[in-house]
Amino acid sequence: MKTTKINYLIPLLLISGILIASNYSSSFNEYISIEKKTLNSSENKDNFTKMMDVLTHPRCMNCHPSDNVPKQGIDSHPHYFGMEGGEKDQGFKATKCATCHQKENNNFSGVPGAPHWGLAPQSMAWKGLTRQEIAAVILNPEKNGGKDHKGVIKHLTEDDLVLWAWNPGVDAAGNKREKPPISEEEFKKVVKEWFADGAIIPEN
Amino acid sequence: MNIKFTINNKPVSIDIEDENTPLLWVVRDILDLKGTKFGCGKAACGACTLHVDDVAVRSCSYAVKFAKDKNVTTIEGLGDVENPHPVQQAWIEEVVPQCGYCQPGFMMATAALLKENPNPTDEDIDKNIINICRCATYYRMRKAIHRAAELTQESKN
Amino acid sequence: MSNIHQVNRRDFMKLFGLASTGIILGCTSTVEKKFQPEINKDFFAPNLFIHLEKNGNITLIASRSEMGQGIRTSLASAIADELEADWKYVAVKQATGDAKYGNQNTDGSRSVRTRLEPMRKMGAAAKMMLISAAAKKWNVVATDCKAENHFIINTVTKDKIFYGDLVEDASKIAIPDDATIQLKKVEDFKFIGKTLKSVDLNHFTHGTATYGIDVRIPNLKFAAIVRCPVTFGTLKSVDKTDAEKTAGVEKVIELDRIVPPVGQFFGALGGVAVIANNTWSAFQGKLNLNVEWDYGENHSFDTDNFKQVLTERLQETGKLVPGSRGNTISAFKKSEKIIEATYHVPFLVHAPMEVPNATAWFQGDKIEVWAPLQDPQTARAELAHFFEIPLEKITINVTFLGGGFGRKSKSDFVVEAVALSKEIESPVQVVWMREDDIKHSFYHATSAQYLKGGIDKKGNVTGWLQRVAVPSIVSSFKPMSDYASGLELNQGFTNNPYKLDNFRLENVKAESHLRIGWLRSVVHIHSGFGNNSFVDELANAAKINPVQFHLNLIGKDRVIKGKSNYPYDSKRMKDVLNNTAKMANWEKHYPKITELELLFIIVFILM
Repeated sequence: MKTTKINYLIPLLLISGILIASNYSSSFNEYISIEKKTLNSSENKDNFTKMMDVLTHPRCMNCHPSDNVPKQGIDSHPHYFGMEGGEKDQGFKATKCATCHQKENNNFSGVPGAPHWGLAPQSMAWKGLTRQEIAAVILNPEKNGGKDHKGVIKHLTEDDLVLWAWNPGVDAAGNKREKPPISEEEFKKVVKEWFADGAIIPEN
Repeated sequence: MNIKFTINNKPVSIDIEDENTPLLWVVRDILDLKGTKFGCGKAACGACTLHVDDVAVRSCSYAVKFAKDKNVTTIEGLGDVENPHPVQQAWIEEVVPQCGYCQPGFMMATAALLKENPNPTDEDIDKNIINICRCATYYRMRKAIHRAAELTQESKN
Repeated sequence: MSNIHQVNRRDFMKLFGLASTGIILGCTSTVEKKFQPEINKDFFAPNLFIHLEKNGNITLIASRSEMGQGIRTSLASAIADELEADWKYVAVKQATGDAKYGNQNTDGSRSVRTRLEPMRKMGAAAKMMLISAAAKKWNVVATDCKAENHFIINTVTKDKIFYGDLVEDASKIAIPDDATIQLKKVEDFKFIGKTLKSVDLNHFTHGTATYGIDVRIPNLKFAAIVRCPVTFGTLKSVDKTDAEKTAGVEKVIELDRIVPPVGQFFGALGGVAVIANNTWSAFQGKLNLNVEWDYGENHSFDTDNFKQVLTERLQETGKLVPGSRGNTISAFKKSEKIIEATYHVPFLVHAPMEVPNATAWFQGDKIEVWAPLQDPQTARAELAHFFEIPLEKITINVTFLGGGFGRKSKSDFVVEAVALSKEIESPVQVVWMREDDIKHSFYHATSAQYLKGGIDKKGNVTGWLQRVAVPSIVSSFKPMSDYASGLELNQGFTNNPYKLDNFRLENVKAESHLRIGWLRSVVHIHSGFGNNSFVDELANAAKINPVQFHLNLIGKDRVIKGKSNYPYDSKRMKDVLNNTAKMANWEKHYPKITELELLFIIVFILM
């Protein structure tokens, strides 16, 4: 339990540090100002909730770990065979993600696949964060690979690896993997609406 | 569908009805190279490891269509008896194989490791060489991997 | 094997005294006729195991299957050592599954133990014949000649003749009488007991070793079989449409279960087979079959429930096993402490890296098979029985085995391949998917055992009660075999290495539901786990260092004979324990025993 707390604390500290450091970035200003204004919008909150229902689903979370260890399955167990993200989130030097994961699912072996299969970068470690914290990380160009809102929307609604969540194929036993709780179309819709409404992160 | 690629530096052109046929079975049943082994079909044991453009790949889980225009290397192309690859040489020196079935996969994984990391530590070996040997020749393999690294260095000097 | 010839079959039999070592070398009249004396100018083949050519190359026959234990090298080295061969000329050829080569059942860790001496004699006899041939040529007495590194040397003149140059002359020499064969002294061994690289090393490291799954013959078809997910269930109906539409699939065939006769053989489970022009298509076709099964009697069989049933039975007294001694009841009464424990072992599967597979060609009046088999002769006998083809018309080519572990002692996958080949009138290779291997194996049995032990004030074990419930291997050959057999209990239960005055072993009912087989080390898996776990509990209760506790329990130096040719030597056991403890730095680690655990098992003493 102790470890869990520490894992939780580190990203928190990091986030607050970065929040302070990025005091003058536009996204930060936007985030602060809009948050206060529209906190009571139930519609916005609904979009946020639905979006986060998806992002916190194992189909997404499994590749956003905070320990550099990819997770597998609906129970999010550590990736078999001791696999890790390695130095570049692409696995170890010789035995890498691409050793087994290709551009598309392999429904015979049950090995999932999508273009640029790999772990999310460490700056995008979500495990242990609250929904609000995850959203803050996503919006933060310092952490999201320099993406503005447009870039984030594009990533969430067009990236093949993100959208793989709705085409997760079957596991090694041939059983269909669980998809996120809302449809791909609805997800794209709520993401776009949430951003259109100002990307407000509700307090809870 | 027709798919062209090179295997062990030889260009091949195959006509195949199911482009999702794993490279493993194309290599074994069509190209008749049987050093690449079937172990589990789930990319879990590593017996089918070969190289696609120098990357270690578990061929039981690699649709042949992805090999289009690429260079595939199997154990048969790693080295021959007269000129063994340093990994094969080290495997012979340390007398690694017992039943031998999983060994080509291990040697291919090792060759890929040495290419990326010419002098792997035990930890590097633990992380990268994760195939399964049912005879448990792991101890001798570790020695052979270090020996192969030495041989590679020697050949460069 | 047509190029290996026997000079004189009867003398050969007599010479090697094979009956006395329990090895039967083709003594039927058919075999004898087949091996008529033959003198050949091109090679020297003094017996079935040696084939010397004029260029000096020697091919030695390995009559045990290679599955990683290095037996091809060991057996060849035994012949070559006595033959004084130069190792660089030695090649090894695998024997077909034929009785003429002696018992080929590669099982029970006994290949070297039982085959070393016969193989040495093969080499020694050939050496004597080469010496005689050279002596005749030089017109000297044989005692003036010696063999050394592929040459016969005249010790007087120092002349020497290369083995290859003696082929023709040696072929004319009579096989020496058994009584005249002298084997080398242990200290003169060049190969036996020395480090030798595997003769197959180059093949293993270059991907050129042919395992069963690598066999290719002209017009070969590939087959995958779907079997009922519940053991011994039967086919109700099958919709072949999707399977038949699968790329590469040629045919879908229903395969009846082949039930072995009581007392022998393995039969085959039956199911639905998909025949294709490559392995992958066969697999895909199999996955595309829509089958309805009648699950049969095992439908309700549940391993968790079975474990519970066995565990409950341990509460009651079982059948008393011979070898029990003393009085545990009074011993327990007098004990300072009583310890009890219950242990379970789950069903285990062999999972050799190379899945079960076989290539068969049924040709009407004869059968040829290529397969990774530990026991090719049983496979041959089984095929003769089921397919009504004379034994001599069946050839079993033994390939390399990608692991065996007892799985490949069972020839069910060969029976499947032959049945399919007969049906489709074409050679066919049956390949099991890994899932098939895990689901349809001859499992190593599950077990439950209850142990009760007493210790006195000094920490001596006063009494030991053990109740064992383990489904028997015999059940695979004989119905209603609901108790472990004596042969099974004699693997570590009746004959544990402990000095126990009050020892009671009880056999508890454990009916079999599945195909029970044997897995490497067999019943020692149960006895080794139970006995050692319990001794550790006792040591802990007695507060005695487990190494010392084990040593105390093994007791004073003695040789424990029992029924075995390989009796326990308690001193040797204690030496092993002491040395192991020393090498593992036990004293330093103890009592932090979480870092080290002591397990002391002696296996295959009885075989």
